Amino acid sequence: MKTKENVATSNTTDKAATVEFRGLRREFGPTVALDGLDLTVRPGELVALLGPSGCGKTTALRMLAGFERPDSGEVLVDGEDVTRVPAHRRDAGMVFQSYSLFPHLDTVDNVAFGLRMRGVRTGERRARAAELLELVGLADKGGRYPHQLSGGQQQRVALARALALRPRVLLLDEPLSALDAKVRLTLREEIRRLQQELGITTLFVTHDQEEALSMADRVAVMHAGKLEQCAAPAELYGRPATAFVAEFVGTMSRIPGRVSDGVVDVLGQRLPVDGAAPQAGEVDVLVRPEAVRVAADADGKARVLATSFLGAAVRITVRLADGSEVKADLPAHEAADLVAGAPVSVSLPERPVLAAERTV
Amino acid sequence: MTATLPRVDTAPAAAVKRRRRSLGWVAVVPLLAFTAVAFGLPAWAVLDGAFTVKSTGAYSTANLTASWQGAYLTALLGSVKLSAVSAALATLLGLPLAQAVVTSRHRALREAVLTASGVLANFGGVPLAFAFVATLGNAGVLTRHLGLTDKGWDLYSFWGLVVVYLYFLIPLMVLTITPALEGLRVQWREAAQNNGATTAQYWLHVALPVLLPTLLGGFVLLFGSAFAAYATAAAIVGSSVPLITLQIADALSGNVLVGQENVALALSLDMVLVAGLVMAVYLPLQRRSARWLA
Amino acid sequence: MARLNLWRWGVFGLAGLYFLVPLAASVVFTVDVPGQGLTVDAYTQIVGTGGFGSSLLLSLELALATIAVVLLLMVPAMVALRLGAPKLRPVVEVVCSLPLVVPPIAFVAGIVTVLKWGPEHLSRTPLFQTFVAIQNPDFPVVLVLAYVVMALPFVYRALDAGLRAIDVPTLVEAARSCGASWPQALVQAVLPNLRGALLNASFLTLALVLGEFTVAQLLGFRPFAVWIVNVSGSQAQLSVAVSVMSLLVTWLLLLVLAGFGGRSRTTSRG
Repeated sequence: MKTKENVATSNTTDKAATVEFRGLRREFGPTVALDGLDLTVRPGELVALLGPSGCGKTTALRMLAGFERPDSGEVLVDGEDVTRVPAHRRDAGMVFQSYSLFPHLDTVDNVAFGLRMRGVRTGERRARAAELLELVGLADKGGRYPHQLSGGQQQRVALARALALRPRVLLLDEPLSALDAKVRLTLREEIRRLQQELGITTLFVTHDQEEALSMADRVAVMHAGKLEQCAAPAELYGRPATAFVAEFVGTMSRIPGRVSDGVVDVLGQRLPVDGAAPQAGEVDVLVRPEAVRVAADADGKARVLATSFLGAAVRITVRLADGSEVKADLPAHEAADLVAGAPVSVSLPERPVLAAERTV
Repeated sequence: MTATLPRVDTAPAAAVKRRRRSLGWVAVVPLLAFTAVAFGLPAWAVLDGAFTVKSTGAYSTANLTASWQGAYLTALLGSVKLSAVSAALATLLGLPLAQAVVTSRHRALREAVLTASGVLANFGGVPLAFAFVATLGNAGVLTRHLGLTDKGWDLYSFWGLVVVYLYFLIPLMVLTITPALEGLRVQWREAAQNNGATTAQYWLHVALPVLLPTLLGGFVLLFGSAFAAYATAAAIVGSSVPLITLQIADALSGNVLVGQENVALALSLDMVLVAGLVMAVYLPLQRRSARWLA
Repeated sequence: MARLNLWRWGVFGLAGLYFLVPLAASVVFTVDVPGQGLTVDAYTQIVGTGGFGSSLLLSLELALATIAVVLLLMVPAMVALRLGAPKLRPVVEVVCSLPLVVPPIAFVAGIVTVLKWGPEHLSRTPLFQTFVAIQNPDFPVVLVLAYVVMALPFVYRALDAGLRAIDVPTLVEAARSCGASWPQALVQAVLPNLRGALLNASFLTLALVLGEFTVAQLLGFRPFAVWIVNVSGSQAQLSVAVSVMSLLVTWLLLLVLAGFGGRSRTTSRG
């Protein structure tokens, strides 16, 4: 428990905490929100919980905040079991999706709310609130009420409020999802900067993969109440552990192939399989658009279906001879001739590829 | 060419706008004319009569002065006291009932309570009065079976009226406060807990302050509603409790001294002033709570 | 959790007691007459009692006339405000809210005074005939005028809520672009979408007129509510029986309406 003495001192957290989820399970009636979640967040790390809606990421976060109880499993902070600790005594600051500021309090009083609950004296808590508002770049908005602030400003205040009690863990529950695209970009950079400055252990729930990949030290992809993979963004993108991760993160095309002895026959090429190969037989080879090569070829059996201009690159959708579709990104100058209907040939670089069981 | 284009485009648009505006006037004028006659004339009559001395026809404030004296003042204060007491009680009792309704998981129960509130809040009046006479009147079922008269109960008294008024004021409070309670966001409770607030602290520092404008607004609304009530009081107490509405009715029915009819209009003007005050307090509170709870 | 539920059921129990006991007691009062034992005479007598039919009929006629007039005045005005003339909107809102500031008893005091102008100042003018005509006891037009004014706030709120849910200009433009004339656009595109609001407004007005006592009594007319009070002196059981029935009927109507047009919550001034 923090004491009054260190409230007005520097903003850095004394010692970042470790967070552990162990076998968390929770059912809401017939739906299983969490189906045995295990995850460890290291001190000072920002981990993004990423997944489609209903995958249990928010439930996990709310269990750490104390708003939900697991049916089984436990939540540990610095090795200490906090599963039974009530929400108002957890040491975790939370930023909600939106509309969480108290409408009858101005910005300063919102930020100072937690200090008031702890009986900190008025002058002291106002000073601390002002300091935090400065930290989030709203030093001049102290007297404003929530309805006088933009969505982005409201979320900054919510961030300052979440940090006011010097929590050991910072929880962000889709804090940017209600904001404009532009505000979202600047605010996410700012959250990241703050988080690194303070060195606070942070969990960030989002369904936006770009957000997760650009901000997090590690991204935990969740699916149907379970952890699919938790890895650094580059690894997650380049070496997805499961087919779900491969297709959920980034764009991925499936090309039919045939595997035998750890080598796959695809597009007339023989390429080694990356990681554990499925059993011999029909498979889908998973490829990123930037790894697919497309060239104009009068004898090619594939046809360009559509092109869309993305700026530096052009994304081309190609239909292969067997009817499957592949997406490829080409530099704009190379794609000039590839109009819809043009015959092309498709090939892959000579590198190990990911193979997944055939889905129909 | 480019210079003429906008003109070509805006001309018909402006015509449409003009047409719409004139259409607006045409449709609104009958309404305004009607209210000018059906509402304006009586309103003017009250205002004019309140300031006119019947015997001489001269303008003076004598009627208004008279309406703040003697039996009239007693009636005015009686009305204010009755309205304030029953509105305060209804506010205190309506809040927990509304909270129970809002947090109930039985949809059918919620709908039933809210619909019943709609009926009781608006359409009490005479039927309501008779229901209470049958229940708690001198020959009422409860009075007879529980021997309430011996215990000092009297429906035809101040507190008797309060009990009856609560029957339509509590539902009115439930209707007024339910949207506000529904507007209390889960995030506020969770954010408060997250900042170390206990449930009691959440209610004290977040929920009640946020609800305060609605509660005050509701109280004022209930006060106005009780203050204007006539049918219930007339059917129950006759004139055993002094109330301003009963005084006005008496004066209008000719039960007063000759030459005092215009005092009834002065009393009416007093009531309008009180009702106006009620609205002047209520509307800003309403606007504030709408902004907070939107 | 259990403690929470206990608290809630306690509140519901007390509320139920307070709100249901008078209704139940009223029923007991009407069927359990001292000295006569159990009897349903009070209910069988209702129809036969003098004035029941005529007063109820008068109330219904007044209600229908009031509904017709208030809708004819309000619907075109409210729709027109949505289509154009936004400057008039606050004017109409204020006009429709004014009756809330004048309690019925003060309003009727003003009406009584105005009606006295007839014999006092206008007895030689043709207007006098109008004054006499609107006070015809068979069908007192003056009551319709008063009730329309008193219904304005309710009707305004009901229609405003209905219009808020639909985009009138777009509806009209869409209908016009399909070849409908102005009146066709209004009647066939806008009004059907307002059905719920119109029904709601009509019901509120109906309930208001059926239950109205103050204005009718003080102007000396005898519609239903006044009749109940008048017969109560001689036949207490009967008046309570009628009261219970009228409460239940309004309740039923509102429930039906709630089933029809989704939720309809109405407060007299909220």
